[in-house]
Amino acid sequence: MALFNPTFSFKPCNLFSNGPQRCRYVQSVRNFTLRATVSVEAPSSSTTDTGGAPKLLLEVKDLSAVITESKQSILKGVNLTMFEGEVHVVMGKNGSGKSTFAKVLVGHPDYEITGGSIIYKGQDLLEMAPEERALAGLFMSFQSPVEIPGVSNIDFLNMAYNARRRKLGLPELGPIEFYGYVAPKLELVNMKIDFLNRNVNEGFSGGEKKRNEILQLAVLGADLSILDEIDSGLDVDALRDVAKAVNGLQTPKNSVLMITHYLRLLEFIKPTYIHIMENGRIVKTGDISIAEILEREGYKSISGT
Amino acid sequence: MSISTLNSYLPHVRLPSRRRTTTTTSNRVLATLSDPHVLRLAETLEDSISAASPLPLPYLQKLRDTSSQTLLSTPWPSRKDEPFRFTDTSFIKNADIQPVPFSSTQSLSSLPVSEDTLLPNLTVVDGYVVDSLSQLSEFPDGVFVGLLSNLNSESIMKRVSEYVSDFQGDLFWSLNGVGAPDVIVVYVPEGCKVEKPLCLRFVSVNGSDKDSKSLPISNPRILVLVEKGGEISIVEEYSGGDENDKSYWTNSVLEVVIGDGAKVRHSYIQTQSLNAAHVKWTSVRQDSKSAYELTEVSTGGKLSRHNVHVQQVGPDTSTELSTFHLSIGDQLQDLHSKLVLDHPRGFSRQIHKCIVAHSLGQAVFDGNVQVNRDAQQTDAGQLTRSLLLEPRATVNIKPNLQIIADDVKCSHGAAISDLEQNQLFYFQARGIDIAAARRALIFSFAAEVIERFPEKSVQKKAEGLITKLLIPKLLSR
Repeated sequence: MALFNPTFSFKPCNLFSNGPQRCRYVQSVRNFTLRATVSVEAPSSSTTDTGGAPKLLLEVKDLSAVITESKQSILKGVNLTMFEGEVHVVMGKNGSGKSTFAKVLVGHPDYEITGGSIIYKGQDLLEMAPEERALAGLFMSFQSPVEIPGVSNIDFLNMAYNARRRKLGLPELGPIEFYGYVAPKLELVNMKIDFLNRNVNEGFSGGEKKRNEILQLAVLGADLSILDEIDSGLDVDALRDVAKAVNGLQTPKNSVLMITHYLRLLEFIKPTYIHIMENGRIVKTGDISIAEILEREGYKSISGT
Repeated sequence: MSISTLNSYLPHVRLPSRRRTTTTTSNRVLATLSDPHVLRLAETLEDSISAASPLPLPYLQKLRDTSSQTLLSTPWPSRKDEPFRFTDTSFIKNADIQPVPFSSTQSLSSLPVSEDTLLPNLTVVDGYVVDSLSQLSEFPDGVFVGLLSNLNSESIMKRVSEYVSDFQGDLFWSLNGVGAPDVIVVYVPEGCKVEKPLCLRFVSVNGSDKDSKSLPISNPRILVLVEKGGEISIVEEYSGGDENDKSYWTNSVLEVVIGDGAKVRHSYIQTQSLNAAHVKWTSVRQDSKSAYELTEVSTGGKLSRHNVHVQQVGPDTSTELSTFHLSIGDQLQDLHSKLVLDHPRGFSRQIHKCIVAHSLGQAVFDGNVQVNRDAQQTDAGQLTRSLLLEPRATVNIKPNLQIIADDVKCSHGAAISDLEQNQLFYFQARGIDIAAARRALIFSFAAEVIERFPEKSVQKKAEGLITKLLIPKLLSR
């Protein structure tokens, strides 16, 4: 069950239907119902120790993948385990396979799995179609989102949101109801309302595209969000906005897998683990100190070979 | 044209008709070089016209004379003629073509089409204006919308008469010139900006049954003359009755003359019966600094052909052509466009899109842009995209640029494809199933043209039309 699900995150009426365990991190119901942005400003301490053992969310074993067209080998045995509420960061040189890993997780047709397994919430992810993965709470923000002329942002969001509502057995929202739901979310990514009427990513600046990805995340919610270089091409203000929004969406139950080149983003979003990827494998795992060494001395210093 | 070439058309024709044609044409010498089939048709049209209006205006008389003169040496086009290489007109050729009589159109108290427009409109049934169904009011002083034969102003008549076309179209253009019972004139005087769009509604009511050989023809003809600095928005609609399976042939001609700095926005929606023939000419003359915008959605007709000819007659013109064709059944949608630039600094943007959603469906696009020697600093762009949604669906595309001037910026592009893989994946990655994603992308494909209709109501109408036609197709897949 998606914990960060907008239908009950921001609507007081739905709060009562939730179990008591959720009240633990919603520090004050009153506070929560004031405004959507309140939750953004709340600190996102990585409180994984909320009693009981955290649940296993994702288990990747010996995953290998090739480019569908050229059969060129990209992933050569990736292992990664994530628990609920954790923030993992994957770093590595260009071409080390970071983005491929992210795309493989969401079922991108450009890549073909040649070995290994991915278990997500106890299910075999490789057996699921991309849209089923999305509906199961997997969300990837694209590094360079495609433009879709002729489809407005709000229509796209409405379609995606209704797909999720159907999956949850909830009635779909019409355009007007949906507008009421989505409009407050724009504050989260610091965008004006006319953003909704523009065509999906068409003519967007680099920063607008990234903000739009986060807006989609905010609207749809995710148990595991995979953020592929969400910080690239952003100026300082935009980076702060995006990081703040990601933090705001973070709860003790949902998890983030971030791909980045820079330490800068990690100042805003605190990672549980940092993985270094090299030549299609994760060669080293550690805490924030790895990133600091990396920043100082480059990839040579922590090369696995 | 040699006699031997002409002879290749003759086997289609029965001999008695040959004898008959020679007796009625004024020029017996030429007649021997003529296509008897064409002459017979021209004669039928002439007969029906002279019965309706015995004393034509000089404008009409001149139009008919030039047209019949041209017809004497115009054969029926075959697939060997380049402009008809991909367009088979035998559907019309093999039919028994009968002009619709005037009397059968005036008794209608209401249109057999449900949609009503709030725009000022002129309603034309089977080629004849029906006043009782038209709603014309609130046009500024000096604007005239109506039949040439009802035109009282001598000054306007004088202006109009200067534009009896010397343009050389094709067979269908000339047949219209012979068969048009009158001319609908839209006149906008100097500096006059007409705020409300004018809707010209053409409805085909008389139709024969699908399997009948008979094909009722109507020949509407429109002249739009916008003087210096004037502006008008015209919505041209062609539809059939509610039963969408009748056979008829609409052979329409629209001429647009745009003066210095004047502007014409032209919306065109064609939704005629899937058993009908729809042949349309749009011929535009653009004077300096004038602007012409065409937005078209065509979905109807078994054989539908739109010929757009834009001739620049002064510098600094702006021309925007946005067209969308949909072949949902066993039908052919054809756009032949030609833009001739003879003066400096012309600007043009053309986008043509088509979807073929039937295995027997066909689309044709021939987009010609001529940038002649004096047309320096022209900025011309053309783009065409086609979506083939069924196996064996056919599209024939011929974008062509002819550039003689040396200081120009021209571009063209053509793509025939299925939907973009990475766009589909973007939908899927957000939890939207592939069928819904395909639907959204197909509609968005059309939306790029539809959103250019200047009138919101027309946009909505076109959207509704496309949805109604495509949804059953897409759901059945």
